[in-house]
Amino acid sequence: MRIGIALAALLMGAQFGNLDAPATKPKSYVMYAAEPQVVTAGKRSVLELHFRVVDGFHVNSHTPKSELLIPTQIALQPAAAVKAEAVEYPAGTSYSFSFDPSEKLDVYTGAFTVKLPVVAEAGAHTIDGTLRYQACDHAACYPPKNLPVQVIFTAK
Amino acid sequence: MKRNGLVLGVMVVGIALLLWSGWHNLRERRKAMQEAQASHVVLTPAKPGDTAGSAVSDDVETPHMLGKMAPGFTLATLDGKNVSLSDYKGRPVLVNFWATWCAPCKIEMPWFEEFRKQYAAQGFEILGMTDDVDAGKDAIAKVVKKTGVTYPILLTDGKVQKSFGGLDYLPVSFYIDRNGVVVEETAGLGSKDEIEAHIKKIVASGAGGQ
Repeated sequence: MRIGIALAALLMGAQFGNLDAPATKPKSYVMYAAEPQVVTAGKRSVLELHFRVVDGFHVNSHTPKSELLIPTQIALQPAAAVKAEAVEYPAGTSYSFSFDPSEKLDVYTGAFTVKLPVVAEAGAHTIDGTLRYQACDHAACYPPKNLPVQVIFTAK
Repeated sequence: MKRNGLVLGVMVVGIALLLWSGWHNLRERRKAMQEAQASHVVLTPAKPGDTAGSAVSDDVETPHMLGKMAPGFTLATLDGKNVSLSDYKGRPVLVNFWATWCAPCKIEMPWFEEFRKQYAAQGFEILGMTDDVDAGKDAIAKVVKKTGVTYPILLTDGKVQKSFGGLDYLPVSFYIDRNGVVVEETAGLGSKDEIEAHIKKIVASGAGGQ
């Protein structure tokens, strides 16, 4: 009977231990949530592009504190009947690695929103683009990546 | 009888917890899958050559070179010379992979330089392996200048990374003893003390082997 209890406890321990393990490792460190938006036709409107950096990671902001770091940057393709202005990036937050607190970086963590002012003619529109970013965790950095982005909106 | 009842009760509770944890785990996995699927809906298909969505971190484990002979290589340095690992036969060598975009790499590089001077008398050498050669020599030279390193900076060829087990992230370092064996390998930024301990280990290897 004691062996039975020990076995049950062991199985439980193994199962609980498994709960702590991540179900899957991320394939992308930044997620893009495309939400269809509605703007006023013929008037300057601001579209919002919502991104989320996977927990435990950070990416350089659009203005990292070193020219050698790769900034988060979005490149958009021209779309018919849409006049797009320059993209507006949010400010980053200060970050430093624990082994060198003096070296300050400027990063995005968690959710961040990029704004895109547009003037569009009436109708449904799609703007394709790519978000280029470079992610790190608390001790290591991953090669730069490109995330395809599609901005879907209707001008009424 | 009373004791048996107690034992039975404990087992019932244990099994119930086991079932609950299994259910909880399944639920978390389903939630993660749903989130992944949700993100897929909003992404456009990747174009050929586009690395978006690729499994960069699918296998982000430390390369497994420990206890193996370090693979040989010959690469050009930033100043145009050819350097081979075999040039350092019998000497303790730290092979450090880094990139211009890697902030933690640039934190440890000045530490390496400091240790290189400290253990130079014991034959210790460092080879800085630039992973992002496509950044260009100017960008690489800027980092070298900023970090103040004077050890050889080698331009990788894509093959050397594979020969060291494939590198999915940086920094990654291999500590090679006087016999040419990888006795320590580290991935990510460690502490200065840890780095020195690894260097001491390879410096002490094969006493009198220099």
